[in-house]
Amino acid sequence: MSAQGTLQEKSEGPLIAVEDLHTYYGKSHILHGVSLTVGRGEVVGLLGRNGVGKSTTLKTIMGLIYPKQGRIMLEGKAVTSTPAHKLAKLGIAYVPEDRRIFRLLTVMENLRTGLDRPGVTDERKKELLDKVFSYFPVLGERRDQAGGTLSGGEQQMLAIARAMMLEPKIILLDEPTEGLMPRMVSQIRQIIDVLHSEGVAILLVEQNVPLTLEASQRVYIMEKGAIRHHAVSSELKIDDPVIKQYLGV
Amino acid sequence: MASVLTFFTEFPFELFVIQTLNGIVTGMILALIASGLTLIFGIMDVVNFAHGELFMLGAYMGVIVLSTTGSFWLALILATLIVALFGAAMQIVTLRPLVGRDPLTTILATFGVSLILQNYALWQFGPVARKINEPYTGHFNLFYLEYPWYRLVIAGLSAALIGGFWLFLKHGKFGIWIRATMQDRVMAQAMGIPVPLVHTAAFAIGAGMAAASGVLFGPLVGVNHTMGLDWVLKAFIVVVVGGMGNLGGSIAAAIFISLLESYAAIWVSPAQAVIVSFIVLIFTLLFRPTGLFVPTPK
Ligand SMILES: Nc1ncnc2c1ncn2[C@@H]1O[C@H](COP(=O)(O)OP(=O)(O)OP(=O)(O)O)[C@@H](O)[C@H]1O
Ligand SMILES: [Mg+2]
Repeated sequence: MSAQGTLQEKSEGPLIAVEDLHTYYGKSHILHGVSLTVGRGEVVGLLGRNGVGKSTTLKTIMGLIYPKQGRIMLEGKAVTSTPAHKLAKLGIAYVPEDRRIFRLLTVMENLRTGLDRPGVTDERKKELLDKVFSYFPVLGERRDQAGGTLSGGEQQMLAIARAMMLEPKIILLDEPTEGLMPRMVSQIRQIIDVLHSEGVAILLVEQNVPLTLEASQRVYIMEKGAIRHHAVSSELKIDDPVIKQYLGV
Repeated sequence: MASVLTFFTEFPFELFVIQTLNGIVTGMILALIASGLTLIFGIMDVVNFAHGELFMLGAYMGVIVLSTTGSFWLALILATLIVALFGAAMQIVTLRPLVGRDPLTTILATFGVSLILQNYALWQFGPVARKINEPYTGHFNLFYLEYPWYRLVIAGLSAALIGGFWLFLKHGKFGIWIRATMQDRVMAQAMGIPVPLVHTAAFAIGAGMAAASGVLFGPLVGVNHTMGLDWVLKAFIVVVVGGMGNLGGSIAAAIFISLLESYAAIWVSPAQAVIVSFIVLIFTLLFRPTGLFVPTPK
């Protein structure tokens, strides 16, 4: 735990603190005590080989699976086993690895699933839409097209844009660059920076190690359902033995 | 060759027109019932075996309101609202606790509710059929028939209700919530959509539509505790033929099957004409199990 102390969160404590999560799918024990924190506005990477439980960690934080043991704290309050729709209202947004666009809804309707919340004025809605359409012009062009007809990269953009409609405090971003061509990857990279500059925290699960090290402030490395390593991103080199050991790059 | 010729020369054109009209009228009612059934199935994977009893309950509520207020239209509106509320309560009590369980449990639960409602109606209202008087008693001449205007009113009102429901789904926040939940319940929830509430509301809407059909159709058949049975069976056929959970498909299938039955009734007895629906069902299941009126899946 080399980063302990070097990069502690500011006075208010972390935005999200996950403590000793144990999650099961039926009888199979997947998370064996995952603990991590994400500070306000912080981009944190979560790396690990296939099947180590990265996505399961995100799903557990999002309240899509409830842990058998452990706690999830959001801004100091326990939110363990809170239904996902309430967590979304509390400021957690989720971009799953398979994107899960509402295929029969138009691009606009996909966005409206996150926009039609109580307390959002029409002006605010317009601002939010204008913002994502300026970052992702292609979504603006295709606003009346069914989500299922978009290309994979466009669907990824829509999934991120849809999460942004919630004006979240944190986005759980699961392998956003998976299967995308380099130009799309750099666009995703840019949007991560934009969100970071706006103060949105991101918990970023990625296979792309260089991108993760560049985009994040800290990284956790998982193996077999637990965090094995924790480092400040700028201090971790791509050829670090730790990376070889846990990721086999 | 000669027999083909006699078929055409003796083709009962007038009867054909009359039966087309009849088929559309029953088709629209069936579409209204099946829309609710499809909505409920599409959004929560629940096959609502109590749907026919919600139709029956609507008709009885219509009888009660009509006898106290004398207004058919008030009966239609109040019965719809009361049964919608009842549907919401039924969903919360019997189905919400079963979310995520084996679908068999919801079949048993709704089947149980249907038995309770049927026997409650028998106990409360007795075995003798009640009557709902139609709001219009006028007729118009159709060939040799006096065709009741009210039948056309039924078709028009059902179409209006279905159209209104369609607009509600297409536009507005709640329609988007319902469609998003239908497509991906988990992601809808992650987007902050209160999925349990959407489920309850969808069930209430489905129940209300069944009740409205019960009141509308009451004047044609008489209201008794088993009136839901025939309809729900047909509605199930329609939902399967239309492609489970596919709203447009169900509406098309309802009209298609009702028309076929009406035409069949030109040559065979109406009781035998029912067989047509089963034939369509069997052929659909054999050759196009995803539904007759849905685009071929890729
Ligand atoms: N719904 C499920 N039911 C049962 N087991 C599951 C389910 N989802 C995931 N698993 C198992 O849980 C383990 C962790 O899966 P998870 O998706 O969290 O891994 P991951 O780290 O995200 O992998 P990847 O990099 O391939 O996305 C895997 O062994 C997987 O097979
Ligand atoms: Mg994963």
